[in-house]
Amino acid sequence: MNAWQDLKAVVTEAPVRSSAALLVLLAVLLALPLVLDRYLLSVMILILFFAYVGQAWNIMMGFCGQLSLGHALYVGLGAYAAAALYQHFGVSPWIGLFVAVGVCVLAASVIGWLAFRFGISGTYFALLTIAFAEFTRIGFDHFDWVGGSGGFFLTVVQQDRMDWVNLRGHPVMFYYLALGLAVLGFVVSAWLLRGRSGFYFRAIRDNEEAARAVGVDTFRYKMLAVQVSAALTALAGVFFAFYYNNLFPEQIFHISRSIEFILAPIIGGIGTLFGPILGAAVLTLLSEGLHEALAAAGYEIPGVKQILYGVALALSIMFLPHGIWPAIARRFGFHRTRAEPDGGADGPPADAKAPRPPAGPSQSQSGVPVVSTSSPRGGARG
Amino acid sequence: MADAPLLDVIGVSRSFRGLKAVSNASLEVARGELVALIGPNGAGKTTLFNLVAGALAPDAGRIVFDGRDIAGQRPDQVCAAGVGRTFQIVRPFADMTVLENVMVGGFRGTARRDLARRRAQGALQSLGMWALRERPASSLTLPDRKRLEVARALATEPRLLLLDEVMAGLRPTETDQMVEAFRRLARETGVTILLIEHVMRAVMALAQRVYVLHHGEIIASGTPQEVTRNPRVLESYLGADAVH
Repeated sequence: MNAWQDLKAVVTEAPVRSSAALLVLLAVLLALPLVLDRYLLSVMILILFFAYVGQAWNIMMGFCGQLSLGHALYVGLGAYAAAALYQHFGVSPWIGLFVAVGVCVLAASVIGWLAFRFGISGTYFALLTIAFAEFTRIGFDHFDWVGGSGGFFLTVVQQDRMDWVNLRGHPVMFYYLALGLAVLGFVVSAWLLRGRSGFYFRAIRDNEEAARAVGVDTFRYKMLAVQVSAALTALAGVFFAFYYNNLFPEQIFHISRSIEFILAPIIGGIGTLFGPILGAAVLTLLSEGLHEALAAAGYEIPGVKQILYGVALALSIMFLPHGIWPAIARRFGFHRTRAEPDGGADGPPADAKAPRPPAGPSQSQSGVPVVSTSSPRGGARG
Repeated sequence: MADAPLLDVIGVSRSFRGLKAVSNASLEVARGELVALIGPNGAGKTTLFNLVAGALAPDAGRIVFDGRDIAGQRPDQVCAAGVGRTFQIVRPFADMTVLENVMVGGFRGTARRDLARRRAQGALQSLGMWALRERPASSLTLPDRKRLEVARALATEPRLLLLDEVMAGLRPTETDQMVEAFRRLARETGVTILLIEHVMRAVMALAQRVYVLHHGEIIASGTPQEVTRNPRVLESYLGADAVH
């Protein structure tokens, strides 16, 4: 009941300006397949996919300050779970996704329990997430039931029909699936931020001991952040399996994949709602554009994407350490401060801004929380 | 029932690597009372606070809050039981606004956002901080950060408030304002306050009773006037030579 009211409030209490911008964006995205060719459609799918995984990761790191460098683990487990159920037993991915989510939440719970029970935090926690992703990769190399290192393949069908039940068919279907995922990631993130969990996550991120002192069961809420993040990432895995139809442990579980997933939220704006989406769009468009430009000029440079990612990350750290989105939000006034209904008995009305603080870009006036580089666990960039 | 103290610390000890930070300390705080804990630097005052608030577990002794032994419970459990605390070294949630900081406390025992916000508003208003609510906590001055600590603890609606040097670094007029705020709070909400304080101006104005901690032991207790005349207390602060 309460949760539903919070969910409604996410929509109704957002600043008019942001809501309008959001609706326009959604309408454009819904209409895009009408005008895009297959190639551009595949680019859009890539953007939405990375936006979604970025959002899932952002819940854990951006909101709660727990750095995962092994999110490929959840994509891989989710992908293999749903794909194996479909290929071996003909189970629809819509059923398989529950198994995928279950497996990933279980894995996340094991990692979270080990880390948070035994006080592993910061860098060591990040290393633990890498370790789990890596030994799962090696395990799947020898897991013959799903093809081992030789890969696991889903039966491909003619692409002109759309089988929504088994997710076989035309890219347009996958475009709308990816869009649905991105919307889901956004709504879940916004809903979490608004409620008690979001407040507790951010309190843990900013100062765990102080959070405990005001009644936050930090173990429970860190576990929750990790589990929610893993559950959402599992769905990305299911999508990945049915979109690409082939899975190789060396690719899907690899650490380079984990790194790729976190670039979008870092460059877009860690801890923000739009950051992962914007970051995914910027990165994907840049890398595809560069690839096309080079191809047109007759060059084929392997690894150019990785170089571009590196340069983009370096530029972002140097000039926009809090990401692109907070700067844009400030510039165009997508504030959330207006959303707070002013119950003030004393004090000025809500839109009379408090004097501008001397602090640098760490201020949250953009209406979205921002991880400061100086906060203890804001070290994703360090 | 009303006679039983709200907080009863009985023979509590805690050592760090053989060094006794708190040694067999006992103190009582009655309901509605304002009690100060004073002592020279390094006397073990903050350690004693950490033991009560659950940040540390005692090696020996009992800590009874409202009839329940809370010794060794986690800080969030102690908070849920009704104990709010501030930190001597302020720990704001730096990337959240002042209002959001205090709302974190307001969510104690409830998932309702409107209730959390109302509690936060009440706490901020009672400390005269409502106008600062949209400011990022990282932009506050030190005195304001100290007040934020208090507001955040207050929003959890504690029955016992542990204040660790919240007046340090305040100007005399600011100290007087905060003393007045605590008096009003105690009067209006009936909250019980145990405070560590070096600012004697505040101790004399606020505390009904004072405990003096020295080398981890309670060496004196009584009214502020009694305690400041006690030779052992003067000795602990000024050194034996100065007194004899």
